[in-house]
Amino acid sequence: MNEGEIFGFLGPNGAGKTTTIRILLDLLRPDSGQVELLGLDVRRESFNIRKQIGYLPGEFSAHEHLSGLAFFKLISTIRNVSFDQDSLLFKRFDLSGKELSKKIKALSHGTLQKIGIIQALFHHPRLLILDEPTSGLDPLMKEVFYEILFEEQRKGTTIFFSSHNLYEVEKLCNRVAIIRKGRIAGLETLEVLKDKAGQVLEFTLTDTDKEIELPGAELISHEGTQYVYKLSGDINTVLKNLSEMAVRNVSISKPDLEELFMQYYHDESGKEDDLS
Amino acid sequence: MMKAGKRMTYLKLIWKINKGLTIFSMVFISLFQLLMLYLVTTFDTQAMLHSILNQMPENMKIFLNDSFFNMLTVNGAAAFGLNHPIVLALLAMIAISIPVRHISREIENGNMEGMLALPFRRRSLVLQLWFSGCLILGAIILASCISSLASILIFHDLTWNVSFHIMEISLNLWLLFVLIMTYTILIATLSRGGGSSGIVSAMITLLFYLLFFTGQLWAAFKITLPFNIFNYYQPQNIMFGKGNLLVDCIVLASLIVILLYASVFTFEKRDIP
Repeated sequence: MNEGEIFGFLGPNGAGKTTTIRILLDLLRPDSGQVELLGLDVRRESFNIRKQIGYLPGEFSAHEHLSGLAFFKLISTIRNVSFDQDSLLFKRFDLSGKELSKKIKALSHGTLQKIGIIQALFHHPRLLILDEPTSGLDPLMKEVFYEILFEEQRKGTTIFFSSHNLYEVEKLCNRVAIIRKGRIAGLETLEVLKDKAGQVLEFTLTDTDKEIELPGAELISHEGTQYVYKLSGDINTVLKNLSEMAVRNVSISKPDLEELFMQYYHDESGKEDDLS
Repeated sequence: MMKAGKRMTYLKLIWKINKGLTIFSMVFISLFQLLMLYLVTTFDTQAMLHSILNQMPENMKIFLNDSFFNMLTVNGAAAFGLNHPIVLALLAMIAISIPVRHISREIENGNMEGMLALPFRRRSLVLQLWFSGCLILGAIILASCISSLASILIFHDLTWNVSFHIMEISLNLWLLFVLIMTYTILIATLSRGGGSSGIVSAMITLLFYLLFFTGQLWAAFKITLPFNIFNYYQPQNIMFGKGNLLVDCIVLASLIVILLYASVFTFEKRDIP
């Protein structure tokens, strides 16, 4: 990760996203290899690393006997930072004193998630590790959350953003790592990943629905008179061949993140990994 | 200063969570001592005893050793109150539930993940949990000790000698249950989470108790007594000046230190799933 970037971490269930995060936090110990975070070894300097990071787990939970307020007092003492119940962060997430005085076990999933986000952010960490951070948030709160992330980034916070939600990743992240079966299958900026994936040619013909050989392009899908090809050769050759056909409309675009993501998850046999 | 603050916060958290059961246990054990001593001082136990013994078959009388007869005196009843199966079961329940609740259950429900993602060392967590458990068990046993002393003072005649023996028994009892709590911590640090560590610990404790009981009755089981933790808790012997409290305390304390070290070591090395 580069300092100050929002780094997307994508992968389906079981790919190893949460395991990677737990190794970064020294909760799991790797069988081999070495991991460094903020220039420090995660095994030997785990305590110093954890002072500088904020973490939101995939399924955030807190001691259910505590109130929200007591929970924040607990972690602010452990983090040795002051805690202000009236801070802007609570207001932006619409968390009132009344809500915070309720026991954790009485809170809704969405409210608990807001508490989880605030506890990861309130001490202004150098690195923010977020695992599926917007699950349970309504669309308005998601927008508030995105704004806060951009503000944190402008302040210099590095953000590690693990998610299934491709829309969010595309909206927020500067670079993306795609993880597959515990290994990084792709690591680039979104633009470069899209360039590498090639452009997509879509067209509709007026008079034929047969499969067409198009040099410089690979057929992705064909339905009636609609064709989708991935450009793999010279674009001029493809367009020249296309001009000899009766074309009703044509478009050339870069793949969106979802198409890109799916490309990475087709294995050699053409089957997809479990994306459920 | 910061470390002291952190320690107090975690202690407060553990106290807050266990407050209800601790206060209930303090009240229950205190009232139990009061009742035991009230019964012994207000009924003519000697007459009852002779009546029972006269009707009892000879082969049954061998089960009634000195501690049984001592129990029917005021001092013996005070010692028995601190060794009654209900009291032992309640203390065992607390000694086992604290590590299970704060290690196994918290691993299972994800709280441990959140806690260890904070700047909070694993060894601090184990040591502070252990210390909190020691305080909770200490508070319950202290309540029991004070209640015993108060009951003797109310219903009989409290002497310095009896007071001293009751305090010695309380110390011995506290060490025994700190030991049970410590091996439960070790079991919890080895488990993957959930309540199974509590079941394992309870089974071990009951097995020790059963072996101790049978070891006292049958010669064939006597060989197991030196390896049994309950052998190092002898309230009747302490009360009547027959036991060796120092040896008992050294054995229990040594086991506590070894098991606590093993717990910290195991928890430092393990994965938090």
